[in-house]
Amino acid sequence: MSVLDGWWDDFFFGLMTVLQVFSVSLVIAVVCGLLGASAKLSKSRILRGVAQGYTIVFRGAPELLVLLLFYFGMAIALTQLVQLVDPSVKFIDLPPFWAGSIAIGLIVGAYMTETFRGAFLGVDRGQVEAARALSLKRHQIFRYVRLPQMWRLALPNFGNHMLSIMKDTALVSIIGLEEILFVAKMANSLIHRPFLLYMTVALIYLAMTTVITLAVGWLERRANRHLRGAR
Amino acid sequence: MADIIVLEKMNKFYGTYHALKDVNLTIAKGEKVVVCGPSGSGKSTMIRCINRLEEHDGGRIVVGGEELTDDEKKIDLVRREVGMVFQSFNLFPHMTVLENLTLAPRLVRKMATVEAEAIAMKYLTRVRIPDQAHKYPSQLSGGQQQRVAIARALCMNPEVMLFDEPTSALDPEMISEVLDVMTDLAREGMTMVCVTHEMGFARSVADRIVFMDQGEIVEVSTPAEFFAAPKSERARTFLGQILAH
Amino acid sequence: MSFDLSLIATSLPKILQGLGLTLNLLAVSTLFGLILAVGILLMRLSRRSWLVWPAKAYIYFFRGTPLLVQLFVIYHGLPQFGFIRQSVLWPLLREPYWCSVIALSLNTAAYVSEILRGGVLGVDKGFVEAGKALGLSKFQRTTRITAPLAVRLALPAYSNEIVSMLKSTALASTVTLMEMTGVARTIVADTFAPYEIFIAATIIYLVLVWIIQTGFTLIETYANRHVRKT
Ligand SMILES: Nc1ncnc2c1ncn2[C@@H]1O[C@H](COP(=O)(O)OP(=O)(O)OP(=O)(O)O)[C@@H](O)[C@H]1O
Ligand SMILES: [Mg+2]
Repeated sequence: MSVLDGWWDDFFFGLMTVLQVFSVSLVIAVVCGLLGASAKLSKSRILRGVAQGYTIVFRGAPELLVLLLFYFGMAIALTQLVQLVDPSVKFIDLPPFWAGSIAIGLIVGAYMTETFRGAFLGVDRGQVEAARALSLKRHQIFRYVRLPQMWRLALPNFGNHMLSIMKDTALVSIIGLEEILFVAKMANSLIHRPFLLYMTVALIYLAMTTVITLAVGWLERRANRHLRGAR
Repeated sequence: MADIIVLEKMNKFYGTYHALKDVNLTIAKGEKVVVCGPSGSGKSTMIRCINRLEEHDGGRIVVGGEELTDDEKKIDLVRREVGMVFQSFNLFPHMTVLENLTLAPRLVRKMATVEAEAIAMKYLTRVRIPDQAHKYPSQLSGGQQQRVAIARALCMNPEVMLFDEPTSALDPEMISEVLDVMTDLAREGMTMVCVTHEMGFARSVADRIVFMDQGEIVEVSTPAEFFAAPKSERARTFLGQILAH
Repeated sequence: MSFDLSLIATSLPKILQGLGLTLNLLAVSTLFGLILAVGILLMRLSRRSWLVWPAKAYIYFFRGTPLLVQLFVIYHGLPQFGFIRQSVLWPLLREPYWCSVIALSLNTAAYVSEILRGGVLGVDKGFVEAGKALGLSKFQRTTRITAPLAVRLALPAYSNEIVSMLKSTALASTVTLMEMTGVARTIVADTFAPYEIFIAATIIYLVLVWIIQTGFTLIETYANRHVRKT
């Protein structure tokens, strides 16, 4: 691996970028997922329609296309906005970091919408009725009956969504963000070891997804503690 | 009469759990044996060993002259001659009633479809539902499904029929339609081993009653003896519980 | 801000020139992927650990790494080796089309084999036991009982995987292929109207997704005709 000497720090900073994009996307995805699920479960037809449109578009369009749309499209939109104030501005570049994170967050948020909605509906109605019969308040039912079980029901899918986010971060190299795949491209133009370099990237991603899988597995075992021993 | 099933010192373990302990039982051709006993006593395990849905861990099982070992050929031979009816019917959901009935005759007995269908219709008539041949199992009632399951086993023309609580999953009003079919079968001379808690059926049909508890055969008696004066305390307790209802 | 609706309309036919290649990539990779998936599934379900272990490693690697990186390893990475450039496969591995097909097939095979395994594990043990009790051989039980029931259980997840594959074909544009996303990117480079062009492309993808989903709904309805409607 000595051919990679001198590139390890670049990979390290690339990995930091990956983790930043991952974290920001995850937050955006969870927020979008919760908003989307609430909208889908709401009584308002307009909200339900908007949420429906959101999930159809962001689950149906290729991730790459959404990313490009956000990167180039938002740059133009921003430029035009700024030109209203200051006509001398030629072009505003939306940082690829934000374009990428927002795009990935919105995409995975559409999937999370379905997961959260399913988890909410998955909680046995009988239990909610039992809680009502015990005269618990709405928010108490949500806090003590619904939420803990939603968490358990949503976890496996939630774990898969986290894996999607992690793997989607590789796409932001296409819009020029200096994450690990980008680092590998740069390094390759100098040392010409494409297999070694891209395989290194693959293994770094494999390590990241392994950590996520193990963490989710641990959380699942914790969440299912009360079911142990049941058949 | 020839012995068609011989269990000799048969043992069965699930991990370290000793599910069957030195079970000895011989069943003659044409005999009807009812097996009963409390839940978890090993009734299902015992009859599932007879067609090797479970592997025994000690002793001998001889069915129709063939000893059951790891030999796949022998297992196949035995399974052809032994029909089984399950508590949960286990009809193939993606096949029509007729397809369920003709599958094994066609694949195992290499029968032509027309011939297999003729036999299937014969047995469907015997279990009194010839008009349901082209329906899917999910479109039938539980009692009808179980009768189809009996007909499916009969289509292989088996020497022995095993029943594992065939009426336990049924609504009360459907139990008798299944028991009637089983009683007919018994009259025709079929060899039957039947796990059931239907004591009325046991009394009228069984030649012998086998009572099991905790993996052992505790007693084997005629129905008259068993219901009038069970030999063991455990059987008395069991009968007390089951007849109390 | 100027948003040119007519540009969407005029760019649609141009982008549609990439439709053939998109569908070609989708169909060919789906087919190869399915064949490979069945092989991996059989290894994964085998009782021999020397078959199970490689299958698990395969699934672990291809599900744990981004498809884009897999594509780069195959397209940019493999030519690093002289023996690859000398091999009979070189005429294929030199082509971005075949590299995309290989990457997509290898990738989807890992997911599909797990989808099918989920189906197999979901088949009620009782049906298999009934088959045993009737004297069906292991092969007969597999082909007549387990497989048809497993496929029915796996259909919904499989349709999602096909949609996911359709979206993945867009990555082929990163290795110069002119499928729909590739065409859209070139038009954007010329016109610099990313909104209109990319939205037009998105519309086409959404229509394709709708067709795939509708098709699978029909297949599922047919396959589940035995289930009583209540
Ligand atoms: N696959 C298995 N693994 C472990 N233990 C098992 C298994 N199958 C059965 N057992 C155990 O073996 C014992 C006998 O089970 P079996 O099903 O034969 O009882 P049974 O008499 O048929 O009871 P029931 O009336 O409830 O059907 C039980 O204690 C059961 O828990
Ligand atoms: Mg039982």
